[in-house]
Amino acid sequence: MRNRIWYLAGVTALCILAARVLYADFRAGYYTPAGPETIHQMLPSVASTDSTYDAGQYPIYYPELAPGDGKNDVENNCELCHSPRYIAMQPALPAQAWSDEVNKMRKTFGASIPEETAQKIIQYLGTHYTPETRKR
Amino acid sequence: MGDSKLGFTRRRLLKTLGAASVTLAAAQIFGEPNAAGQEPSGLQPAPEFTGPGANPYWTSPGQFATYPQKAPLILLTDRPVQLETPRHYFLSTFTPNDAFFVRWHLQTIPNAVDLKEWRLHVEGNVERPLTLSFPELVARFKSVSVAAVNQCSGNSRSRLQPRVAGGQWGNGAMGNAAWTGVKLREILDAAGVKSGSVQVQFEGLDRGLGPKGFGSNRFLKSLDLTNPVIDECLVAYAMNGEPLPMLNGFPVRLIVPGYFATYYVKSLSWIRVLDTPDDNFWMKAAYRIPDAPRGNTTPEDMKSGKVATVPIARMPVRSFLISPDGSTKIPAGFPLRLRGIAFSGYGGMKKVEVSTDNGANWSEARLGPDEGEYSFRTWSLDWTPKSAGRHPLAVRATDAKGNVQPDEGVWNPGGYLWNKIERQEIVVGDAS
Repeated sequence: MRNRIWYLAGVTALCILAARVLYADFRAGYYTPAGPETIHQMLPSVASTDSTYDAGQYPIYYPELAPGDGKNDVENNCELCHSPRYIAMQPALPAQAWSDEVNKMRKTFGASIPEETAQKIIQYLGTHYTPETRKR
Repeated sequence: MGDSKLGFTRRRLLKTLGAASVTLAAAQIFGEPNAAGQEPSGLQPAPEFTGPGANPYWTSPGQFATYPQKAPLILLTDRPVQLETPRHYFLSTFTPNDAFFVRWHLQTIPNAVDLKEWRLHVEGNVERPLTLSFPELVARFKSVSVAAVNQCSGNSRSRLQPRVAGGQWGNGAMGNAAWTGVKLREILDAAGVKSGSVQVQFEGLDRGLGPKGFGSNRFLKSLDLTNPVIDECLVAYAMNGEPLPMLNGFPVRLIVPGYFATYYVKSLSWIRVLDTPDDNFWMKAAYRIPDAPRGNTTPEDMKSGKVATVPIARMPVRSFLISPDGSTKIPAGFPLRLRGIAFSGYGGMKKVEVSTDNGANWSEARLGPDEGEYSFRTWSLDWTPKSAGRHPLAVRATDAKGNVQPDEGVWNPGGYLWNKIERQEIVVGDAS
């Protein structure tokens, strides 16, 4: 009698095990490390009661531009009026389009970039930010 | 006797179990794997997508960033600031202020405004120039509210082929708010527009570092005084019942219902009546569209120099599926409610239709509450996918003027006026 009980218990255990493997209806308990990057929750600001309505400073998120000749010229000229994200955001553009953009900044927007420097910037953008060369 | 038999049975049981385990392991390794038995994949950050193909995502694939008075939004640029609204915020008719997209043109944008000093100046070709303080503006004129969509001219620019330079927005450079303020017409009447005036120009507190007289120095927009939209314009001091966030134009902003957001001048501080047409960069060179059906042209025609252009004005009809957004696998037989929004700069919505077979057949959706002809209009449609598969959904709107969304994209050098029928693939899985 006891033998039969053991035998039945074993078979039952086996059936449960088999069912769990063959007829698994869910999975659980997996976690993966995702690095330290989270989005900060900002401290609620406390406003003064005077007539000034202040939003505070706006954050700058500096992107990494492709290393290479002309990067300094971009930093010293283009970044006067706008952050380098204006370059990093653009889709990969043909070299001619970058040349047009730089000339638009000079002629249409009045950026005082000397001809020689402008050529170096055009060369830099046309080298690193075209459909063929853009890394990311 | 019992013991020995028990021992034998135990051994046999263990052997049996062992053999079974091997068989099961083999079945797991070599057999048809059960999906639920596989290791789940982790979340992957969206890769930076820079083309040259069209951006395949609903929004720009940029990172999230937090700005003052703002929820985390998608960062396009930081100086000047351009932030895009994530998709899920468009489930409701009104877009929350802290999620409302941001787009400035010049780098020197207001951080703070002292209302004791700030004035709205009404000047130029007028009988009585005005300098209105914030309380004067609020008290002197009648308070009016309008629900109006504020959509960047370059919304969805990242869809164009070939790609064009500019803010690489997905679909989130838009928002709808209940704007409360005073009628521009009442202000103009109070100042007394002199005869011979042709346009009214608007200027905010933003400044650029470019030389004087260039678009990189001042951002200026103008409307013809004969344009009927002048009578619909508001100088708004409230957005969804709250003060405007600084990045959305505190303390007051021009509202031009039906028009693209380029005319919604932020931190409006000068209203200038002109006796000659405005020829500043932002009217004469920028924000212009080909004078052609749908503002459509080709790179070749642009190069030839024969394409005449006009200032951008009203927004063409658009509609969006917001939920489901394709990120959730739907069991076959699940009673789905498809939900989204539609709008048009040419007046209210006539109908929204949804196709669950990539445009072969269309069903009319139920329209949500009507908040006015220039507002987002929500829509919904119940649909139960019967079988597993990848279902290409499409949504198209028809506005009150009978304009229907086309199934073709548009191309112009500014990347404006995109209003192609939107599609969303929904993955439906087996459920039995």
